[in-house]
Amino acid sequence: MQPRGDELTGWALLVPSVLLIGLLVYYPALVTLRDSLTGLNLRIPNSGSWVALGNYAQLLSTPEFWGVLGRSLLVVLFVLPAALAIGLGAALVLNQPFPGRGIVRTLAILPWMLPPLVNGFMWSWILNGDYGALNGLLYQLRFIGAYQHWLAHPAGQIFWVGVAQAWTRYPFSMVVLLAALQSIPDEIYDAARIDGSGPWQLFRAVTFPMLMPAFAVALTVEFIATFQIFDVIWSLTGGGAAGSVINPFTKTVMLYNYELVFRNLEIGLGSALAYLILIVSLGIGYIFVRNLYEKALA
Amino acid sequence: MKRPGILVAAGAGVLTLWALAPLYWVVVSSISTRTELYAAPYKHWLPAHPTFANYVDVFTTGPRYRAGGFLPSATILASGLRNSLVIALTSAAVIALLASLAGYVFARLRIRLKGVLFLALLSLLPLPIWVSLISLYFLLSGVGLVDTDLGMILIFVAYGLPLYVWLMQTYIAGTPKEVEEAALMDGAGRVRALFQVVLPMARAGLVSVFLVAFLTTWNAFLIPLIFSNTEASQPLTVVLSLFIGQYEVAWEAMSAAAVVTMLPPVFLALFFQRYLVRGLSMGALQ
Repeated sequence: MQPRGDELTGWALLVPSVLLIGLLVYYPALVTLRDSLTGLNLRIPNSGSWVALGNYAQLLSTPEFWGVLGRSLLVVLFVLPAALAIGLGAALVLNQPFPGRGIVRTLAILPWMLPPLVNGFMWSWILNGDYGALNGLLYQLRFIGAYQHWLAHPAGQIFWVGVAQAWTRYPFSMVVLLAALQSIPDEIYDAARIDGSGPWQLFRAVTFPMLMPAFAVALTVEFIATFQIFDVIWSLTGGGAAGSVINPFTKTVMLYNYELVFRNLEIGLGSALAYLILIVSLGIGYIFVRNLYEKALA
Repeated sequence: MKRPGILVAAGAGVLTLWALAPLYWVVVSSISTRTELYAAPYKHWLPAHPTFANYVDVFTTGPRYRAGGFLPSATILASGLRNSLVIALTSAAVIALLASLAGYVFARLRIRLKGVLFLALLSLLPLPIWVSLISLYFLLSGVGLVDTDLGMILIFVAYGLPLYVWLMQTYIAGTPKEVEEAALMDGAGRVRALFQVVLPMARAGLVSVFLVAFLTTWNAFLIPLIFSNTEASQPLTVVLSLFIGQYEVAWEAMSAAAVVTMLPPVFLALFFQRYLVRGLSMGALQ
């Protein structure tokens, strides 16, 4: 049944949401798109002339862009396997019945719910070269003879950014994989066991293939989350706190974009980069999903 | 229940340790005296003289752990706490209201352009909001909404709505239609039916939307970093980032401030997790 006046009521209820999303999300996205085709730079008067795809071409031809992109992909290549492996291990454990399982599950999800900025701070304190917990622990266990400055080298910085990010991201993979594990019917295992399969064969022949779609989801989401990492780097290896220079050794795409727009005021170039990030995020997400589905079906 | 194998027990132990060890260290730091914390080699994994003095300090004393600051750190920490609470609570409440209204329309009403609007909404879910934020900064500064709680709330509401409208739509679509129709037959209007019949049935969804929106807003950093400049609107995450300077950091005080910032998320995660996981997972692509 459809009371009269629904058309009017419906629109009245939608208006606030439509207005807010239209004015604050869609309209600025279009402005950014237009700006990305101009040379707008707030430090240079009258700089907003039309350059068509010039900004995109300029970005793709500068070494700094490729350096930044490479650094982002390096972090992604570290975090994705780490978060998925930890998530899978955690899901396999939590899929077994044991007393206290609910509590362990709750605690294991906790890192995902913390502010990423605090997460970065936390790891910077753990890794502190003078008083940090990692030094204290390893020294006490006699793994190291003297305190180390873990964040002194660029490679170390990227590595620990990856660790901190994996620590906060694995619960998502865990949740997705656990749900997938719980949806595998017991009959399949029973049938395989009757055929004489051991635990490892069961995992390889039954569990792992059945998890493929969940892996695809987890990979895509983790890729997009980590490709756009910002907060953790800001507080762990020095974004640009208190107006300081953004650390070049962990400058990933989002930090670079922040620097271009809000430090250098190169609006045109920064807008183009923002759309490149959007394209890469969507494109790679799509490729991931398609490849994994095809492999799962083959 | 079968007795767990040794492998499962070990796995559960390692998992718990991995999830909690970093948090343990920050909590211990926040209740340690500086003498114990800065002992090298470190040996006070359980503080010999646990103290809450660091918590009192960060909220009452001046700039000694602030890098090159202007206002006393206690002042901006207090204003940060106030801003975080005001922004996160108001945003979550407004989101819960608007998402209920719009979710109801998408779930139950037949109006023109509904399909197009719903598509325009859902297609925002996987898109990075960053492309909008860049221009939005200059648009909002033109109308004086930068560095205000109101501006921040508008932004969080607008950027959250696509996800939360979708969530409310699925929850409302899952409530039995007959109850609502009975209310309509009794002469209730659509709006009354929504508030008196439909929303009470979809209250799990409403709670979930409110809590996820609160958590996401409380944890946010990039949006407030861009849109706030002073204690007028800087939330706790931004205040905390100001304390991380290139000069001396007082780690025991920083840890206390960090624990305060983490307290609401930890509380929600421990006691309301079933309301959070679904919403956070559905919003994970953002």
